[in-house]
Amino acid sequence: MGVCSFLLIGFWYQDPANGYAARKAFIVTRVGDTAFAIGLFLLYRELGTLDLPSIMVLAPEKFVMGANQPTLIATLLLAGAVGKSAQLPLHIWLPDAMAGPTPVSALIHAATMVTAGVYLIARTHGVFLQAPDVLLAVAFIGLFTLLISGFTALNQTDIKRVLAYSTMSQIGYMFFALGVGAWSESIFHLMTHALFKALLFMTAGSIILALHHEQDIRLMGGLRRQLPVPFWCFVIGSACLVALPPTSGFFSKEAILNASWQLPRYGPWFWAGGVLGAFITAIYSFRLFFLVFFGAEKAQPHEPKGWQFHPPLIILATLSLIAGWFVLPAGDVLPSSPAGHPPMWTIVVAIGLPLLGIGIAYQVYVRHKWQALRLAHWQRLRQFWLQGWGFDGLYRRLFLTPFTSLAQVNRNDIIDGLPTLLIQLSRFLHRFFSQLQNGQLRVYIATLASAAIIILALAISTVGK
Amino acid sequence: MNWVELASLIPLLLVASISVILLLLIAFARSHKLTCWVTCIGFALAAFWAFTQMGNTTQQVTPLLIIDDFSRLLGAVVLLVSLACAWVSYAYLETADEICEEYYILLSLAALGACVLVASNHFASMFIGLELMSVSLFAMVGYMAHSKQQINMTLEAGVKYMVLSGVSSSFLLFGVALVYAYAGTLTIDLQSVAGGPHLQSGYLVVGSALMLVGVAFKMSWVPFHMWTPDVYQGAPAPVTGFLAAAVKVAVFAFVMRWLMMAQGEYLNVLLLGLTLMAVLSMVMGNLLALRQNNLKRLLGYSSIAHMGYLIVTLAATAPHGAAALSTALEGAAIYLITYACMTMLAFAVISQLAAKDRRFESGTLVDYEGLLFQQPLLAGSLILAMLALAGMPLTAGFIGKYYLVLVAVDAQLWMLLGLLVLGSSLGLYYYLRVILVLCKPPVSDHHWVLGASEKLLLMLLVLATLWLGIYPTPLIEWVQFAIA
Amino acid sequence: MQLLGIIISLLGGGVLALMMGHKSPVASRWLSLASLLVASIFYTSLWLDSTNSLSTSLWIIHTDWPWIERFGVHLLLATDGLSLVLIGLTLVLGYVALLSAWHEINHRCGLFYLNFLFTLAGVVGVFSALDLFLFFVFWEVMLVPMFLIIAIWGHEERRFAATKFFIYTQASSLLMLVAMVGLVLLNQQQTGLWSFSWFTLTQTDTSGSMGMWLMLGFYVAFLVKLPGLPVHNWLPDAHTQAPTPGSILLAGILLKTGAYGLLRFVWPLFPDAALAFAPIAMGLGVLSVLYAAKLAFAQNDLKRLIAYTSISHMGFVSLGIFAWNQLSLQGTLMQMVGHGLSSAGLFAIAGLLQQRLHTRALDQMGGLWALMPKLATLSMVFAVAALGLPGLANFIGEFMILLGVFQIEPWAASLAALAMILAPVYALVIMQKGFFGMAVGDKTKALDLNARELLMLGLLVVGLVFLGFWPNLIFTVTAAPVDSLIHLGKGG
Repeated sequence: MGVCSFLLIGFWYQDPANGYAARKAFIVTRVGDTAFAIGLFLLYRELGTLDLPSIMVLAPEKFVMGANQPTLIATLLLAGAVGKSAQLPLHIWLPDAMAGPTPVSALIHAATMVTAGVYLIARTHGVFLQAPDVLLAVAFIGLFTLLISGFTALNQTDIKRVLAYSTMSQIGYMFFALGVGAWSESIFHLMTHALFKALLFMTAGSIILALHHEQDIRLMGGLRRQLPVPFWCFVIGSACLVALPPTSGFFSKEAILNASWQLPRYGPWFWAGGVLGAFITAIYSFRLFFLVFFGAEKAQPHEPKGWQFHPPLIILATLSLIAGWFVLPAGDVLPSSPAGHPPMWTIVVAIGLPLLGIGIAYQVYVRHKWQALRLAHWQRLRQFWLQGWGFDGLYRRLFLTPFTSLAQVNRNDIIDGLPTLLIQLSRFLHRFFSQLQNGQLRVYIATLASAAIIILALAISTVGK
Repeated sequence: MNWVELASLIPLLLVASISVILLLLIAFARSHKLTCWVTCIGFALAAFWAFTQMGNTTQQVTPLLIIDDFSRLLGAVVLLVSLACAWVSYAYLETADEICEEYYILLSLAALGACVLVASNHFASMFIGLELMSVSLFAMVGYMAHSKQQINMTLEAGVKYMVLSGVSSSFLLFGVALVYAYAGTLTIDLQSVAGGPHLQSGYLVVGSALMLVGVAFKMSWVPFHMWTPDVYQGAPAPVTGFLAAAVKVAVFAFVMRWLMMAQGEYLNVLLLGLTLMAVLSMVMGNLLALRQNNLKRLLGYSSIAHMGYLIVTLAATAPHGAAALSTALEGAAIYLITYACMTMLAFAVISQLAAKDRRFESGTLVDYEGLLFQQPLLAGSLILAMLALAGMPLTAGFIGKYYLVLVAVDAQLWMLLGLLVLGSSLGLYYYLRVILVLCKPPVSDHHWVLGASEKLLLMLLVLATLWLGIYPTPLIEWVQFAIA
Repeated sequence: MQLLGIIISLLGGGVLALMMGHKSPVASRWLSLASLLVASIFYTSLWLDSTNSLSTSLWIIHTDWPWIERFGVHLLLATDGLSLVLIGLTLVLGYVALLSAWHEINHRCGLFYLNFLFTLAGVVGVFSALDLFLFFVFWEVMLVPMFLIIAIWGHEERRFAATKFFIYTQASSLLMLVAMVGLVLLNQQQTGLWSFSWFTLTQTDTSGSMGMWLMLGFYVAFLVKLPGLPVHNWLPDAHTQAPTPGSILLAGILLKTGAYGLLRFVWPLFPDAALAFAPIAMGLGVLSVLYAAKLAFAQNDLKRLIAYTSISHMGFVSLGIFAWNQLSLQGTLMQMVGHGLSSAGLFAIAGLLQQRLHTRALDQMGGLWALMPKLATLSMVFAVAALGLPGLANFIGEFMILLGVFQIEPWAASLAALAMILAPVYALVIMQKGFFGMAVGDKTKALDLNARELLMLGLLVVGLVFLGFWPNLIFTVTAAPVDSLIHLGKGG
């Protein structure tokens, strides 16, 4: 999976930047994978098997809840999940992975591969249930990713990057859901998200193609008339993303927020964070929508308008709408989510805030009012958010630069210095002793005589022992 | 002296008679080919006789000579080396600008001296043998005095060898005298010195030390080695071969009798000095050879190192008792024989090359470039010799090295063993250098055809080196006979 | 007796190739191929015998002739599952190297094939000699033809590299000789008998400090060959300067002789010493893995890069051996075979690139994917094999080793697992600089793979994939020998 992802990201290999992005993806996910592997070793040592059904049975028996081993194992497994799913702190590869062709982004980096981490945690829930601290960490990671990538998405100007950060954010939501105990909801959200995110990506792809590979949304505008099918698909997709009723996303988000409110530790805080995340999601997704489809027309789509995209788009749109009505036949596989109901006002806020967000986006980007809200005016903050909160720079300073400079410095292998030293020493001694052999007979005789004296002395010294 | 004793002396008598026959032959029918044939046949017969006599009882012929299995075996080895030397000298002398036949007389006299040395049980015969060998060698080393090309080198080598040999022999003689003052007898074996007039043991100590000086000179032990590179380089190649192989074998055979097999306090007194010489030889011999450009000089330094390794067997004997003694003797004998074989191989190749073009012995390694592709038999033999000297398994050199390691480990001589390993590793460098030079792309044109007899000699020596390496059991059995 | 057949057919083929080489280089190539085929026939027969008789006995003893009776030295050749697998690897890589040499070696072919086949024969001998003296002979003897291969047909710095290679190995071998003699003398003291036979010597009591010194003598020799830090320096030069077939043989099998030595001699002969020394050895293994991976990344010379990756992978082997349990040892074997195949592939590709582009420098390459798609794809396969992609043999080896080591020394396994991050760094750098990106310079002359090259690389890929999915092919043969070794190594 990782290799194919690598090859596909770097598909247009002539540009070194693409290759760099591909390698970044591979290596960052590898970091997670390594931790995952170590977790596996530990698991094997503790339980004696790597067989999933057995592990699910053995884990509650062998592990004491909250003890060191399950916590360690769960943490390592989490690291693997975080890597593959592009969550904090291993999230840096996903935005750059957009260098690949759009269908690739749609399939792998939106719908399927990146959700593997969520699947992993869900599959090994038996271990995680024994380590409640780690579950809390899962929720935190999910929440932070959700928020940070949401804020970053607000700023992006490349259509695919917005969607990438959005993906990151939504997967954060899934992690969040796992962490708060809404297991089946998380998987449900995974499935529905796959559908509508793929829809959004494919739509974006058709737009890009129609505009001659133009990806900057500032150079788009007013396309709703020119590209009707993409327009309606985007409407459906965005609605699902923001979780407006009656889309499938609405029900799962409801359940997740409910579960988060009921969490024994920091419940309300999590809930607040989740709601804030929904708010931001609404703003950025509709910002994208309004900038691309409304306003003055800045670019002209060409003929044909990417019509070969349309059938898949329509299929995806339909599925996005109706998928929510199917109940997940997960049944007993996953632990049940917390029952119970939070207070009524929470539900109201949860529904209301996203709508508020859409309203704000409308005002700012269509009506061009409240310009002070536009981040364009807040340069430093904007830069910071644009660069993904500086993680790339941090990692570069922390890992990349020391590694590459160390590698370059020791390029010729210090250890090789020792034999080289020996060689030089031998040469030196050779020259030194050769000079003693100068060919003069009297020197030879003198040496002979002196040596004779030494031998004599040594012989005499042995007497008396 | 009865007939039995006389019969046991036949090898010596044969060799002596070669020189007489040659004298007469030269006077009446001067012919290089005939001379060489007579010498070779004589050596071969003598070696064969000595060899077949193994297993017979020991004969003490006059107090001076002891003909036991040891002297028979090592005598045979010396004679075989001389045979090879004579054989290879033919081609060499043919192209020399010099009168050739007298060379063989000198060679047979040197061989005779060596045989006497191997069989000597008495300081007098030791001195006779040693000097006979040395004086003949003086002349042999300086033999090419009429050749315009070689006159400088050969004379310089000859004079140096003569003077230094004289100096060391005087030390030797003085030492012998002092030992006599202690023991009252010139026999090596002091067991018989229970009574008899003798002065304090200080005489023994000083005498032994002085004797060691003389012996060390001949064995090229550092710091008595300074003559070795110059003489090896200047002497004609076959003579160098004799020097490197036969002289070392003969002198060390005597050392074995003197220090290892004879009763007496010699070894304990000399151990420290010997150890010092071993250390220095192993290290400096190899260091000095590293960047040498003249092949004979390189081999000279290498032989210093090899003789240094040999001292390990002496050191192993010292305080350790009978079992250790027999292993050490076995190791020393085998090392000597294998060393002689591979050294002779190396010098045979050099002589045959020098026979075609003197630059092969007086020039640098550059002249050897690419020889593998133009003269595969010669180069291949030289590569084999280098590998053998380096101690590669399947060659004779490995068996020798193996024995040294065995002896050292058995006697727990860790320092010497460590230096042995270090020295061998250093040594690899220059042996490999020679091999690399041979494998380079050819520069000059060395296409000529070797004669049948030359090829035969090379094949025999190659076979011997490989045989001793691959199936040493017969050799081991003979040696065990010899030292029993 | 089949083993003798293998060795003799290789030796004989070499001699014949030399003799034919003067008249016709083409003949010497075909002769070498023929002798490899004959050897393979013997090998197949041996394999069949072994897999049939495995239930009854572990060992098949081919020859046991007295050689040097004075010291109890016998010509003892025997094979068990372990040596069988490694000899198989030798022959497979022999074919691959032969195919790569087909047109690369153009002058003095006869001599080349002589050295080539003699090296193979030497390696087969190493894997099957159970008499320590005989083992030592083969160990040293396989050096000389490889030395000549590097020195005569190698690249610019070949003489220096060949000398370094020889001296490193030989010097450490001398230490092994000393240890060997020590062991035999120890045995002689204990039992009164002279013997160099492995079967006898594993019964010697080697506890105590003497045992530790002896073990170290053997260990150093095998560590140099493996190679492990800190005596690894000969390898980058030797691999880089050797001609392609030489590099393939070096990386593919000569390194494995070091691992084999550790498996066969160090633990079974010196169980107590090896156990005591294991933490240090494992630490050195981890260091090898990480240090070499870091160095690999910095290299600009493609072959040098691959050489460092070899050191890194063999670090895993060293790690696995000193954990000494069923999992890690089986993993070690798989890693040995997998690495043999994948590094052979990488070197073959480097050689092909050098032939076409006349350079090994990565910054001179680039954008080759478009020009040579088949070559590029196969490079990708080998690159991902090197980084341990599941589905290929290397992954199984690495994973099992780490799993096994983790049971004994979790920290070592965790640190070594970092290689899983470092390996993609260097492997993908190869792909990026060499094949992706824009083309540097004029590359219109570069040709894609021809049938022979495709065959050679294809063989390797098939092997890697096969073993990646059906590792039991090897595990069934080696399970019993590994068990027996573990038993011996635990002082049984």
